[in-house]
Amino acid sequence: MAALKEKRTCGQRCEDFGHFVWNSENGTLMGRTPEKWVYISLYYVAFYVVMTSLFSLAIWTLMYTLDPYAPDYQDRLKSPGVMVWPDSYVDEKIEITYNVSDKSSWMKKATILHNFLKPYNDTKQQECNYHNCTKGKYFIQNDFHAPGHTKWACPFTQSMLGPCSGLDDPTFGYNCSMPCLIIKMNRIIGFLPTNHTESPPYVNCTTLDGHDNVAKIEYFPEKGVMDLSYFPYYGRLAHPTYVNPLVAVRLSLVGEKKAKIQCRVVADKITYEHFHLPYEGKVTFTLTQLK
Amino acid sequence: MSNKDTYNMFEMDGQGDKKKKKVKKTEKLEGMKKEMDIDDHEIPMEELEMRYTTSITKGLTTTFARQVLERDGPNELKPPKGTPEYVKFARQLAGGLQCLMWVAACICLIAFGIELARGNLTSFDNLYLAITLITVVVVTGCFGYYQEFKSTNIIASFKNLVPQQALVIRDGQKNQINAYELVVGDLVEIKGGDRVPADIRIITASGCKVDNSSLTGESEPQTRSPECTHENPLETRNIAFFSTTCLEGVATGVIISTGDRTIIGRIASLASGVGNEKTPIAIEIEHFVDIIAGLAIFFGFTFFVVAMFIGYAFLEAMIFFMAIVVAYVPEGLLATVTVCLSLTAKRLARKNCVVKNLEAVETLGSTSVICSDKTGTLTQNRMTVAHLWFDNHIHAADTTEDQSGQSFDQSSETWRSLARIASLCNRATFRPDQEGVPIPKRLVVGDASETALLKFTELTVGNITDYRNRFKKGVEVPFNSTNKFQLSIHELEDPLDLRYLLVMKGAPERILERCSTILIKGQELPMDEQWKEYFQTAYMDLGGLGERVLGFCHLYLNEKEFPRGFKFDCDDMNFPTSELCFAGLISMIDPPRATVPDAVMKCRTAGIRVVMVTGDHPITARAIAANVGIISEGSETVEDIAERKRIPVEQVNKRDARACVISGGQLKDMSSEDLDDALRNHPEMVFARTSPQQKLIIVESCQRLGSIVAVTGDGVNDSPALKKADIGVAMGIAGSDAAKNAADMILLDDNFASIVTGVEQGRLIFDNLKKSIAYTLTKNIPELTPYLIYITCSVPLPLGCITILFIELATDIYPSVSLAYEKAESDIMHLKPRNPRRDRLVNEALAVYSYFQIGAIQSFAGFTDYFTAMAQEGWFPLLCIGLRSQWEDVHLQDMQDSYGQEWTFAQRLYQQYTCYTVFFVSIEICQISDVLIRKTRRLSLFQQGVFRNRVLISAIVFQLCLGNLLCYCPGMPNIFNFMPIRVQWWFVPVPYGILIFVYDEIRKLGVRRHPGSWWDKELYY
Repeated sequence: MAALKEKRTCGQRCEDFGHFVWNSENGTLMGRTPEKWVYISLYYVAFYVVMTSLFSLAIWTLMYTLDPYAPDYQDRLKSPGVMVWPDSYVDEKIEITYNVSDKSSWMKKATILHNFLKPYNDTKQQECNYHNCTKGKYFIQNDFHAPGHTKWACPFTQSMLGPCSGLDDPTFGYNCSMPCLIIKMNRIIGFLPTNHTESPPYVNCTTLDGHDNVAKIEYFPEKGVMDLSYFPYYGRLAHPTYVNPLVAVRLSLVGEKKAKIQCRVVADKITYEHFHLPYEGKVTFTLTQLK
Repeated sequence: MSNKDTYNMFEMDGQGDKKKKKVKKTEKLEGMKKEMDIDDHEIPMEELEMRYTTSITKGLTTTFARQVLERDGPNELKPPKGTPEYVKFARQLAGGLQCLMWVAACICLIAFGIELARGNLTSFDNLYLAITLITVVVVTGCFGYYQEFKSTNIIASFKNLVPQQALVIRDGQKNQINAYELVVGDLVEIKGGDRVPADIRIITASGCKVDNSSLTGESEPQTRSPECTHENPLETRNIAFFSTTCLEGVATGVIISTGDRTIIGRIASLASGVGNEKTPIAIEIEHFVDIIAGLAIFFGFTFFVVAMFIGYAFLEAMIFFMAIVVAYVPEGLLATVTVCLSLTAKRLARKNCVVKNLEAVETLGSTSVICSDKTGTLTQNRMTVAHLWFDNHIHAADTTEDQSGQSFDQSSETWRSLARIASLCNRATFRPDQEGVPIPKRLVVGDASETALLKFTELTVGNITDYRNRFKKGVEVPFNSTNKFQLSIHELEDPLDLRYLLVMKGAPERILERCSTILIKGQELPMDEQWKEYFQTAYMDLGGLGERVLGFCHLYLNEKEFPRGFKFDCDDMNFPTSELCFAGLISMIDPPRATVPDAVMKCRTAGIRVVMVTGDHPITARAIAANVGIISEGSETVEDIAERKRIPVEQVNKRDARACVISGGQLKDMSSEDLDDALRNHPEMVFARTSPQQKLIIVESCQRLGSIVAVTGDGVNDSPALKKADIGVAMGIAGSDAAKNAADMILLDDNFASIVTGVEQGRLIFDNLKKSIAYTLTKNIPELTPYLIYITCSVPLPLGCITILFIELATDIYPSVSLAYEKAESDIMHLKPRNPRRDRLVNEALAVYSYFQIGAIQSFAGFTDYFTAMAQEGWFPLLCIGLRSQWEDVHLQDMQDSYGQEWTFAQRLYQQYTCYTVFFVSIEICQISDVLIRKTRRLSLFQQGVFRNRVLISAIVFQLCLGNLLCYCPGMPNIFNFMPIRVQWWFVPVPYGILIFVYDEIRKLGVRRHPGSWWDKELYY
């Protein structure tokens, strides 16, 4: 016991360690003879080869059971998220701030929107989504009629956003006090926003702060409606050309020209009151115009 | 002093090499050595009076006494400097594991600081982790402190709080004062039953005997008289020592030292000077912490390099490094170890072993040598009749404490005569009002031998008080040292028989001289040479057993010469005192406790060597040693062999002698190497006449030979050795306060056999702790690999920090503790004690097997479940890889999964929590399998019995229930990041659980089938 308790100096410890690394008496390297090291290494190689193959087998089986068109569960996607463009954050809050007198400032916002709208280019849409959709009705397809064993997707073109399309006014109103914002709702496979076919979901924006600073809110397309024919979404494989329907909102800023706004997609099945899911069914942002 | 070293009790043999190292300690002991050179017992009375300015008739003057009291302080032992409570508590926070956790907490705080400085406000995980780590250390510290506090209280309750009184003569007046007011030079009177109030030089004495057993270990009462008989103060008769008891007679004396300067005081302070040894389990835990820390740094560094290589920034890689190091800390282990140890402590307490220090519960299990005191530990510390010789035959009496042993044949006529003599020729009486008390425990007024005889006759003959009344006593001659006999003359019981009966007892050879006949089977036969030879043989035999022998004889007085009413005169001796009739011999010994031989035997089968270390005489020591089995039957000492072979002692090969008896005198002349040699060569050792310092040397020598030493004892003289030992075991009832203070464990019922229980429990807890640790360590890998994969493959984080804490500190605590209830796999009491150098608590095989095999399987299980949950929710495994930067982007609210669906950040976060939960569930499922395989290390689970450990089964049920509660209790997602997961994900890891079980059964089968093979060496832990 006494030997175990003796306080050893650092030198002795190092010496002991050195002895452990290479013990010339027994010919052991780190406590084992080279031969033993080979054995133990082979054992571990075999062990891990077996384990990895079992794991691969498990993953392969998993992939084999998956449906390529739709996920097994959508536990986290009960209700879609909603987002606003231009998406400029300060910390975790969306704050859209621009300066009318500073061209680079409002040009930045306009560029974001131009980039965002690229897939919605009219000609592009007409090329890939040339199916004529019946408006006002869910576009339910049980078969794959579109070319390449896919399903038809309804076109949504930039021009449907009217004054906010950026076609007539490439500044999207950021050089005056009528900025355009684009609201997009996330897509979820098989999601139908309403029970009833008659009333489609629509975007409704309210001012939470600075009521007096917002003179008018306009929606494009009309009433901020997302047409039912864009639902349901059938997934990347079945719906490769699908584009989300958009709603543009044009605000007229007056007075201090600063407001906190919440835009909500109103529909029966879209929840928006979950405290921990801030972007579910709605998006809240601050809009500030400097000068 | 010219002859200093001859009577130096604090001899420092074998300390030569240590002296250089511990100069300070040695100085102290050297100082003590000098102080021991007292000559107060040798100088003439006048000089003594001069020295202490006192008078042997009038004592001190009151005023002077007051002055001396002011100078020297009160006459009491300073209580050993108790550790302050806060230090005790701090010690609880500073163990090996605790230090590891403190370091981890610091690293966490540093990491948190770095994160904060970089402006990352989202991650409070590191802060939580640091807080948790600190909380765990503090809470377990409180728990451990409370446990020790409780046992300290039990021990403290034994302390005798009644202040002692002493009869002192000052200014020529007798006064009763408190003993602590006594000063050097005081003249005091002591009488039978008193405790000696200080070290006293005897001036006058009459029949004064003291019990020195707590100081020297001699069970026999020692006569005290005024003459100086030995130059050694411990051996001389004219000093009575502080705290010994005066058994009978009266004496007056001058106090020569008080308080801590008394012999007892010095031994007590010697004990406090001896450093406390680290317990074996503490050493094991430190070794284990070394392994953990080494692995943690190795892993951390490896992945630091990997992270740098992948292209992380230095600071980020540094944080990874810290996180990995911290993840290696088994947070739950500290709690597990503390709880396991206190469970065992509780179990021991139920068997009357109180453990002062939690860690000491294991020490007995590792013990390879027990150094046991004799008196009061192995023996009952009371004289008892052991043998009788009558009718030319040695009869053995029942010496057990509860009279459960065999009695001898009492039908002989001679026995009746012998019993009558023993009953009548006896002045001892029971104290009144003890009817309810069992006879052996009753208090008696009288000396030790008479007490023994009184109790013996009370047990065999019946009510002795009545019996004596029936034989009216005529006259009595008490024992004195010139006569060496005691006699009394009685009327006979039968009123018609008018003869007187003379009964006599005394030293056998003196009695024999006075006898002309001998009683054999009731017949008086002439005492011829042959009977004398038989007598001699019997006397030698009994003496050789270390017993004190008394002879008994009687004579019926002629009724004509001594009619009724004859005036017997004990001064003139007007009655015959020779030509008597010899009845028999009775021998007495301080017998071993009934349970001791069996306990010693069990210790031996358990590979533990029992060494007797006593202050008593070699013959007695040897006899008791042979009696209890410390020296086994047929073992010979060097001297025995020499006698048998009729060759000089020097020619005997020392290795042939199994047994060896070494006395203190011999020990003094031995170097430490000689002592080591003796301990190595003779498996059965008895040390007799040893001083407290020598006991210490013996313990040190055993420790030098690599043994873990337990010392058992009760006296003050044992306390230094008790302290020095790896575990000191003191007797609760008989033990002195000094012994109890120095000890780590206390046997409340003084039952030596409890030590066997201690050994068994200690070994069991060592085995079970090994299992608990193996169980706890295993999950470290599945907790760590998610992070490693997260860093290297940039997958969304599979397992969060809070979840890990829940595994460590909630769900897995109970199962790991339940392993402490596991029964032993084999008969642990038939194995040798573990080798502290080889059989470690955590060895390489255990760590490697747990980490890289079982832990690896668990990780695979976790990842399978993780990828399943991800894929079924829309994130395919291949997509997951490299996904991290986008996944964790708080500003990305429309991230597409494998199916093209868009997810907000919060939705992804909940998905991440789902992953945490499935990983958690996988670890739980695998840990159920793990706890089952950890039940045994060698046996198959089915040999051990799956359901035999009920606690373990309930722990598994508890674990599952808690897991379900965490998963499905509302509110959990946002508080503790647990999500209600789909039921089928509970079953994904099940095949891996089965794999773990089957794999371990195969491992155990190989270990059992091929002991010593490569498989056994690499895979048995």
